[in-house]
Amino acid sequence: MLDVAFHRALIEAALVGTAAGLLGVQVVLRRLAFFTMAMTHATFPGVVVAAVAGVSLYIGGAATALIAALAVAGLSRRHDTGTATAVALAAGFAAGVALLSAQQGFAKDLTAYLVGSVLTVTRQDLAVAAGVTAVVAAVLAAGGRVLTFTAFDRDGARAAGLPVAAVDAAVLLLVAAVVVTAVPAAGTILTVALVVSPAGTARLWTDRIGPMTAVAVAVAVGGATGGLLLSRAWDVAAGGAVSLTVAACFGVSLLAAPPLRSWACRLQPQGACSVSRTATPSANPPSS
Amino acid sequence: MHAVLIEPFTVPFMRRALAELLLLALLGGVVSVFVLVRRLGFVADTTTHTVFPGVVIGHLSAGAAGVLPGALVAAAVTAVLLTLLTRSGLVTDDTALAVLLAGMFGLGVVLVSRRPSFTSDLTAFLFGRLLAVTTAQLWQTAAVAAVVLGVLGLLRKELWLRAFDPVTSAAMGYRAWLLDLLLNVSVALVVVAAAQSVGTILVIALLVVPAAAGRLLSSRPLVITLTGVAAAALAGYGGLAVSYRASVTYGIPLASGATVVLVLIGLYVLALLWSSLSSRLEGVRGGA
Repeated sequence: MLDVAFHRALIEAALVGTAAGLLGVQVVLRRLAFFTMAMTHATFPGVVVAAVAGVSLYIGGAATALIAALAVAGLSRRHDTGTATAVALAAGFAAGVALLSAQQGFAKDLTAYLVGSVLTVTRQDLAVAAGVTAVVAAVLAAGGRVLTFTAFDRDGARAAGLPVAAVDAAVLLLVAAVVVTAVPAAGTILTVALVVSPAGTARLWTDRIGPMTAVAVAVAVGGATGGLLLSRAWDVAAGGAVSLTVAACFGVSLLAAPPLRSWACRLQPQGACSVSRTATPSANPPSS
Repeated sequence: MHAVLIEPFTVPFMRRALAELLLLALLGGVVSVFVLVRRLGFVADTTTHTVFPGVVIGHLSAGAAGVLPGALVAAAVTAVLLTLLTRSGLVTDDTALAVLLAGMFGLGVVLVSRRPSFTSDLTAFLFGRLLAVTTAQLWQTAAVAAVVLGVLGLLRKELWLRAFDPVTSAAMGYRAWLLDLLLNVSVALVVVAAAQSVGTILVIALLVVPAAAGRLLSSRPLVITLTGVAAAALAGYGGLAVSYRASVTYGIPLASGATVVLVLIGLYVLALLWSSLSSRLEGVRGGA
């Protein structure tokens, strides 16, 4: 039953899931979920223009994602980060829709953009996804310690001589790169789902970054491929099925993780472990 | 001038669209001020996505008449889930929002993807049918506007205190969760009222950009509110006129909702330029 297109879709889902799961931990710890959402919408006008002009969708998406990230950083000086992000999101999405509406086949293209068309990925798409996943993995492996330090203790990191602003910018660039890679295949909402839900799930099970990243990748890859298989079995939209699968993982973990963790804790000798709540850094504006 | 500004609105459906936009400008302009001070940009964006499964289920079970109740139920479910998730302290609020957004939107996509008219249904929900607004919908919007503006008007002092001095607010015996829930429900009502006519894309802009523009020009709540309402109304009028002219005279079918948002963003950028110019002038004067 498995044909070439579906095989490719499974590989793409696994690759995008790996990149999203890896980076998702940083997104959750640094509270960049809304920024990720804004990025998915901000790539839209770039993708439309690139499609019309006949250049690579990735280049178009990357160009507008960069503009939007700069806009969020700039507007964050005038507003709180959330408002700045929302303005950039609304502007990017409206520009994309206006551009697209001037073309033919409006409704169909738009649906593909929002829910993805993972069954039409090409060999080039797979190559791009593999490249971006490798870059994300390499950056996290090389700079994991620095990333954690700057996320949790900004003043300490500054005092230790770390380039905090540059590290923040690098994380935002990685988020933009993953979004640009994932959106053409996975769609906007599924991209947000794959970045945030697995990492949020992992956060419920452990406080340590290493295991958290491993769980996040496992949930993202498992959810993406499992959701694809479910969507095929039940004949529903692939993007929606994957979103629901990872959200279900999160929901089950929300109910199961706290009691299981405190039970495991009680088995340990006194003071050997503690179950903490929301160990995250304070609000971390991309502008700083 | 007459052909651009007056003539489009001699057609009945254009006049109804304008009336709907002016009502929503009043509603959005006022609510956006509360969204701004309480930093609810991501909450507003999430609500625009989470009402989707409600709309789909309502439509599947009771046709067009089921849309409004379905959206209301989904909005209520969102508000409750969100409050539970954030009060549990297990996840940060932005992670909770992103998971909720992606999961519920995924559910809507899965449900709607089983229907043969998938793409056009999804598009209608996301972009509304502004030019197909009926008189009954106008009355619905007016009723929602009256309720929301009435409640916010009566409780503006309490909401303001909650925003700027939560400690005093709690000490005076106001229940924070109740005020928060009330505001979340107001945001949800605006989303529900507007989703049918202008679609979700316009709603997020309407709930964020007016007050953000007003805030650039003043720090007084009344001035921010009035500027926001005026900007939204002007954008509604200008956007409709431009999209009408583009499609009638130049044969470019610009989506009316997106055009309205782009005009609103344009006004925001003007406010941005004006405020940075005037602060620079002040700096020059102060330095001299």
